[in-house]
Amino acid sequence: MSTDDTPEQPGGNGDEDAGKSTGKNVGKNTDENAGKNAGKNAGKSTEPEAEKPEPAGQPPVPEAPVPGPAPEAVTPAEALTGRQRLVKGLWPPRFTRAQLTVALLLCVLGLGLAIQVRTTSDNSALRGARQEDLVRILDELDSRTKRLDDEKRKLESQKAELESSSNQAAEARKQTAQKEDQLGVLAGTVAAEGPGIELTVSDTKGAVEPDKLLDTIQELRAAGAEAIQINDVRVAADTYFSGSAGKVEIDGKKVSQPYKFKVIGKPQDLEPALNIPGGVVQTLEKEQAGVSVSRSEKIVVDALRPAKRPDYARSSSQ
Amino acid sequence: MIAVLGLIVGVVVGLVVRPVVPTAVEPYLPIAVVAALDAVFGGLRAMLDGIFDDKVFVVSFLSNVVVAALIVFLGDKLGVGAQLSTGVVVVLGIRIFSNAAAIRRHVFRA
Repeated sequence: MSTDDTPEQPGGNGDEDAGKSTGKNVGKNTDENAGKNAGKNAGKSTEPEAEKPEPAGQPPVPEAPVPGPAPEAVTPAEALTGRQRLVKGLWPPRFTRAQLTVALLLCVLGLGLAIQVRTTSDNSALRGARQEDLVRILDELDSRTKRLDDEKRKLESQKAELESSSNQAAEARKQTAQKEDQLGVLAGTVAAEGPGIELTVSDTKGAVEPDKLLDTIQELRAAGAEAIQINDVRVAADTYFSGSAGKVEIDGKKVSQPYKFKVIGKPQDLEPALNIPGGVVQTLEKEQAGVSVSRSEKIVVDALRPAKRPDYARSSSQ
Repeated sequence: MIAVLGLIVGVVVGLVVRPVVPTAVEPYLPIAVVAALDAVFGGLRAMLDGIFDDKVFVVSFLSNVVVAALIVFLGDKLGVGAQLSTGVVVVLGIRIFSNAAAIRRHVFRA
């Protein structure tokens, strides 16, 4: 039904074309038709429409007032010619005005078509979206941005925290290393150098008791000595003196005269501490030992003691 | 033939040159294209009917495009742009289909 209808309905559409063209048929379209029909007649003889415009301006006039049914009525015969017209219009390319105008318009159409297709396929998601959708998408983006911002802030604070803690850890490591060095100097496990004095006790008569050496050590410590070495024995907290005069043993190791003390500390304190009246130097000289004290800006204490791990005592810090 | 060539040239130029459409015109382009398609189908049918007239074609082409764009523009101003453009597309689609049916009748005789 609708298929039957369609030819008529576009009769309304084609009708505007048809109505106008048939009205003009007499004046203007005739030469077009004539041109076409002439070509048509040359190619194939088509009876009804073809002959009419050809003879003169008169025959189409009675035909003209019937616009609607005209194509319908002539359809069977026209169908053949329609197809031929298509073929004719297609193949021998003629540069008529009609062809050129139509080409121009179709060019514009093709341009618009291509642009539209391109823009649609470019970012179809947003371009085709309706306003509400766009608003929703915008909202989503906003909340997403906010969420990501929050996350970023959190991560940044975490990063700062980690950085500061790693800084702290590095600082702690540094301090620990420093402390280890300091303690190593005290415990005699690392070599030490610095300003200090050299004290040489030459006991050619073997009269110096180990007690006297211990007194000397005490005196030096009291004066602020930080690292002490006698000959090649490092003196530390648990150093002990044994033996007898002339056969002194320090930490169970036999030490022979002359006893050479290397002491790191403030020389201005150490030297007077030894030289005070009734002090170490006088006492030793009374024992008929030769004592000489000399200050030095660089004393190297390089005798080492093995690091001992205490069996029972554990660090209670931490 | 020249007309078909024109169409092809237009498409190729549109794809190659990538012209930028001003944003003011952008919403009307699809409707205008559909209207122009309608005019083209009408013209093709008229040609098959043997009543093709280039002047009529030009006028109908341009007026179709302008009127379609105008309707959408008006609809946008009235706040019913989406619905109105849908209506225009439906009407033009119906016309295109009926024209296509007539063309088919001519070409395939069925």
